[in-house]
Amino acid sequence: MRALVIDDSRAMRRIVGTILTDFGYEVRQAGHGREALDVLESGSAEGWVPDLCCIDWNMPVMDGLQFVFAVRANPAYRQVTLMMVTTESETGQIVKALAAGAHEYLIKPFTPDALRDKLALLGLLPEGAPA
Amino acid sequence: MTTAESTQPITALLDAETVLGIADQVWPSLVGDGEVFVPVPAPPPAETVSAWVDITGPWTGSVVLTCAPATAEALTASVLMTRPPVVVDDEDVEDALGELANVLGGNIKSVLPGESRLGLPKIGSAPSQGRLDDVCRVAGQWRGQFLTITVQGAADAPHAERNEVPL
Amino acid sequence: MTLTAMGFDWVRQLVHRESAIVLQPGKEYLVEARLLPMAQQLGCAGVGELVDSVRLHPDPAKTRRIVEALTTNETSWFRDGDPFTALTGTVLPKLLAARGPSDRIKIWSAACSSGQEAYTIAMLLSDALPHAATRVQITATDISRQMVERTRAGRFSQLEVNRGLPAAMLVRHFTRNGNEWEIAPALRQMVTASECNLAAPLPPLGLFDVVYLRNVLIYFDLPTKQAILTRVRQLMRPDGWLFLGAAETTLGVDDNWERVVVGRGSAYRPRKGS
Repeated sequence: MRALVIDDSRAMRRIVGTILTDFGYEVRQAGHGREALDVLESGSAEGWVPDLCCIDWNMPVMDGLQFVFAVRANPAYRQVTLMMVTTESETGQIVKALAAGAHEYLIKPFTPDALRDKLALLGLLPEGAPA
Repeated sequence: MTTAESTQPITALLDAETVLGIADQVWPSLVGDGEVFVPVPAPPPAETVSAWVDITGPWTGSVVLTCAPATAEALTASVLMTRPPVVVDDEDVEDALGELANVLGGNIKSVLPGESRLGLPKIGSAPSQGRLDDVCRVAGQWRGQFLTITVQGAADAPHAERNEVPL
Repeated sequence: MTLTAMGFDWVRQLVHRESAIVLQPGKEYLVEARLLPMAQQLGCAGVGELVDSVRLHPDPAKTRRIVEALTTNETSWFRDGDPFTALTGTVLPKLLAARGPSDRIKIWSAACSSGQEAYTIAMLLSDALPHAATRVQITATDISRQMVERTRAGRFSQLEVNRGLPAAMLVRHFTRNGNEWEIAPALRQMVTASECNLAAPLPPLGLFDVVYLRNVLIYFDLPTKQAILTRVRQLMRPDGWLFLGAAETTLGVDDNWERVVVGRGSAYRPRKGS
């Protein structure tokens, strides 16, 4: 399985990336929404479409919500599952992200187990992922 | 209903216990399994570094994390899950400390009334404070080292005279 | 007294046996930090005393708390989703058809911890079968008074709602209160919580149509497992359904149950004439 981790914090990209890699994912990264759209576009050209995007909300250039709108507007990415991974945690923000087309929402801070639970909910936990 | 006259400083909206409750969740999940923010003040170091995020909304201010440079490095190594001997560069520290401030700030923002926006993290010497009574500070330690989490009103808030939230 | 090397080794083996989780040497501080609240609550001078007392005088309830303290901070909501999808997909439609329109349907969350299982059931019912939700009564029990009180309060930390609770359900059924999330009053009213020790004679809780008894039996020896299953069966309707944890079974323990496949998982039903 493939994942694109989008966060302006390198530390957070590394944390989420490490957990996903341990679960058996092949991970690419982007530092903001615009860069992530570029990764998606160049990836598609070589047949690399992610199963999952983990998306921070507050980022420079293009934020996570704008990215969700942009991906949902492109039928080529219909199969991609979008999960917000952000410290934004008001009910209104979660509703806004879900309405824009995000499938799930993980609030920072989170434990590896919490990420694992969300993947299990989404049916995106690779078989044989270590406990 | 009260009018906009009845406004309150941050201390009326947020108590130290709530900030601590948030730190209690951030430390074990982001800093590392078994890591704790201990709410016992430690002697302040000679030199400090701060990371913060700004909150803009009915209440305008910042959430600031302050510690010694060596503590910032140790926190970074812990956040990045690196094993000793640890080599972290300035960019790593800026990034990891900033992300800690971001996660603290986002959770603190969600406790405030009304709709607010969160800025991107910054690092350096702490921003200057607004009114003295518009500050909620939690002093503590991590692995015996000095740390503070400060929620402080902005000096240059749009309504700087009385940077208060309408009830 | 802090944890001795022998105490740490005992904890390590216990946790590995019950949860397959490996505590690496050097994690003594983690064991200390996680078990300290329990040691204080039980009046032990330290984690060392707590571990020694449970090591020398085995006590399944305390053993379970030790394992839980070391393996999970938070209980997942849809932990092993199958027993929940089976409830709304198969079990409840069958029960609703079999019962009269004014009959109550009773569900028991045994060993409910802080209430995630009971409220997961309540949320599923109100989402999938809203017309039936008013006819369902959920009983949640736990051996720990603290857990019963937490279940009654229906308030959960940010870290707890992060554990396998779909975001859509979070915003639909919870409101934020400070840095906690509070379950909707209508759902809280569906759940009645009380203290109950499964290893002793059970209080008169009524007759249940569905029982969730998950990840509890693993902590007990064979005779106690048999005694618990017998007592639970006596509190169930003849056409009731029992859900056990994914690693648990009645097979080879108590012959008075029939294993049936429901959806992608399995459930146990009292054997006819037993």
